[in-house]
Amino acid sequence: MKKTLEVINELKLRGIIRDYAIGGAIAALKWIEPFFTRDLDLFIIPEKTVGKEQIVVLSPIYDYLKNKGYDKWTGQWLLIDGIPVEFIPADGVAKEAVENAVETLYEGVPTKVMSAEYLIALFLKASRDKDKIKIRMLLEQARIDKDHLRDILLRHGLWDRFEGSYHE
Amino acid sequence: MSDDDLKILTRHNNVVTLREYFEGERETRREQARLPFEEKIRILVTLQMLAVEWGGKKDVIVWEVQALHRNSEGGD
Repeated sequence: MKKTLEVINELKLRGIIRDYAIGGAIAALKWIEPFFTRDLDLFIIPEKTVGKEQIVVLSPIYDYLKNKGYDKWTGQWLLIDGIPVEFIPADGVAKEAVENAVETLYEGVPTKVMSAEYLIALFLKASRDKDKIKIRMLLEQARIDKDHLRDILLRHGLWDRFEGSYHE
Repeated sequence: MSDDDLKILTRHNNVVTLREYFEGERETRREQARLPFEEKIRILVTLQMLAVEWGGKKDVIVWEVQALHRNSEGGD
């Protein structure tokens, strides 16, 4: 995982992406007890978009990684040093989550992990069964800034959904 | 008496109610949540190994984590 993060950091250093943060289950793992998952979700803010519709083009990322020898895919995941990675363009609340992600070190390698509050917002948006479980775990085990969470959820139209199912 | 008041004998001959027993479990999970990120990733890799070897989930990729190999080799 250390090498994987070093490679991802190169994408940012070389201006191929503007920023990134670890999201999904692995980000949740930072804040709650260990649990099983398969892949590493990376939410990225691209350096540029194309056309009026602002289409996100991921091919510069794939081209760069292919030149480094990372061209083995398994489903939608690209294997980077033995770890299945999915690149997800960040928009709306996800983009805000990347911009406000927590800077941390993994075995000495700098990286960014989405905060528990933004993860709750993103899991709430997806609201699959596995997302609902993670929301409950985050609420029970992570230190949540409730005012900050409320602010995020209100601004992104997610408060009613949260209040209806999780707010005590 | 509610189910939560049911008393059980645990380790070290401690008598606790079912409510206290589950609260203890929740506290253990909160403690696990405070483990270092690297340690959690090592536990994740162990879970992935279990999924493949014991659970028969052949499509699960066991992550390559350097520190895990170092530890298993008795290194630093």
